[in-house]
Amino acid sequence: MNNRHDLPLKNDIAARFVPKIVALMVYLGTLCFVFTLFMIQSTHSWESQLTTHLSVEIPTLPGTGSGALQSKVIQLLNRTPGVQHATAVSQKEMTTLFHSLLGEEVNLELLSLPIVIDVSLNGKEKIDTQSLEMYLKNISPQIQLIDHRNWQAQVLGLIHTSVLIALMLTVLILFATLATTTFATRTSLLIHRQIIEVLSLIGATHSYIARQFQMNALRQGLIASAIGSFFACLTFLGIVTLLERAGLPFVVTSSFYSQALCVFILAPFFTAFLMMLAVRFSVLRTLSR
Amino acid sequence: MSEVIAQLTAVGHQYEEGPEIFKGVTFNIEKGSFHFLTGPSGSGKSSLLKILYMGLKPTWGNIRLFGEDTLKMKSSLLPILRQKMGVVFQEFKLLDHLKAVDNVSLPLRVRGIDAKLSYNQARELLAWVGLGDCFEAYPHSLSGGQKQRVAIARAVITRPQLLLADEPTGNVDDDMGIKLLHLFEELNKMGTAIIIATHNPRLLERSPYPQLTIREGTIVKLPRSRML
Repeated sequence: MNNRHDLPLKNDIAARFVPKIVALMVYLGTLCFVFTLFMIQSTHSWESQLTTHLSVEIPTLPGTGSGALQSKVIQLLNRTPGVQHATAVSQKEMTTLFHSLLGEEVNLELLSLPIVIDVSLNGKEKIDTQSLEMYLKNISPQIQLIDHRNWQAQVLGLIHTSVLIALMLTVLILFATLATTTFATRTSLLIHRQIIEVLSLIGATHSYIARQFQMNALRQGLIASAIGSFFACLTFLGIVTLLERAGLPFVVTSSFYSQALCVFILAPFFTAFLMMLAVRFSVLRTLSR
Repeated sequence: MSEVIAQLTAVGHQYEEGPEIFKGVTFNIEKGSFHFLTGPSGSGKSSLLKILYMGLKPTWGNIRLFGEDTLKMKSSLLPILRQKMGVVFQEFKLLDHLKAVDNVSLPLRVRGIDAKLSYNQARELLAWVGLGDCFEAYPHSLSGGQKQRVAIARAVITRPQLLLADEPTGNVDDDMGIKLLHLFEELNKMGTAIIIATHNPRLLERSPYPQLTIREGTIVKLPRSRML
């Protein structure tokens, strides 16, 4: 039976610390990767909303007929090429939005909230925002056209950098895990030098000896990564619950939950497989010297 | 003419900063031959066996094993050549974490033979060398003689083409020594070439095989001591 353990690898000093390090690395790595996925997904939905929407703000001034102004503006917007439709944000939606930002205790009636018109763009025609703003100013100079795309590029740049850093961190954690495994394997090769010599003298191929190490790495990797991934999953659920309780505007969709679950399930297999390959490569390389 | 399985040409060895152990050693080992390797202590018997099983690279000379030039061949061929040999080490080299039966079956497992089959063959062989009641024992609980028999069983279990044994009867009584010699003879009858390095004069007296004697750094082939 080829997968029998002819080397006492389970009793190694390396065997004691490698699983703990792997579990910790997988914990950090999976959390980092799930965070990256979350950032990518949030940015994507946020980006698509911003590039297909404009906002028009009509200040409510005392003595002005804001209702008439609103319908004039909506009519103008709906006639503008590139606009799919324009609708005023309801008072209820405004109240919810401001309460979430300022707190429930703030009396919004004391504030003169503007009328906000949400403009959906059809995405097929390019909209001339400069001309549109000029027409709106003709109706009332206080009206403001807010084109989110002006500052969107900068914010997106920042988010993309964060995503890149998070991804690099994940890769770095993965490399650190594999490097730890490789160093532990080299130590193990030194510890068991005499046994390996005997195996070699009775005709064991390098591949046979490497198999002993790699099967051990696979077993260790699977158990340690599963533990790390399990705790990462618990941490992720904890963070989501805390964010939801805090009422912060983070949207964790059901599709994201399934993506995260896939990461937590697949991470142990992926890590253990890579550990196995790293160990095999390390053993074969050392023995060939 | 018999097939030559090992050919040593002008082989010499010198350990770092040490004296030259032997020089210009030239001899052939034919398939199915049986030799004793003798010589005084420190004459280089173990070193010569080490060179034969490629555990030591000679300082000079050339060695061909099973038709391969061992000094020029690819390293990937090394295990393949070693699989054709069986070695009884003077210091046994048993693996302490494995039971006696697992030590004996190890060469079979290394060759990819089924674990159950390997286990059964190892048990049979251990029973034959008188260790039927301690095949589950670990080496540290065995006596020197028992360890030696386990080491012999491990070397012969694959029915190798060449068996190299370094003092295989050094730790057993005369009766067991003769029994082990019979085991080697049986193996030899099946075509295995055997070289036994020994000091044991009784073994030499009782055996009809030629001797390779290391004398003053060179090898001398002595004829059979006695005919059967």
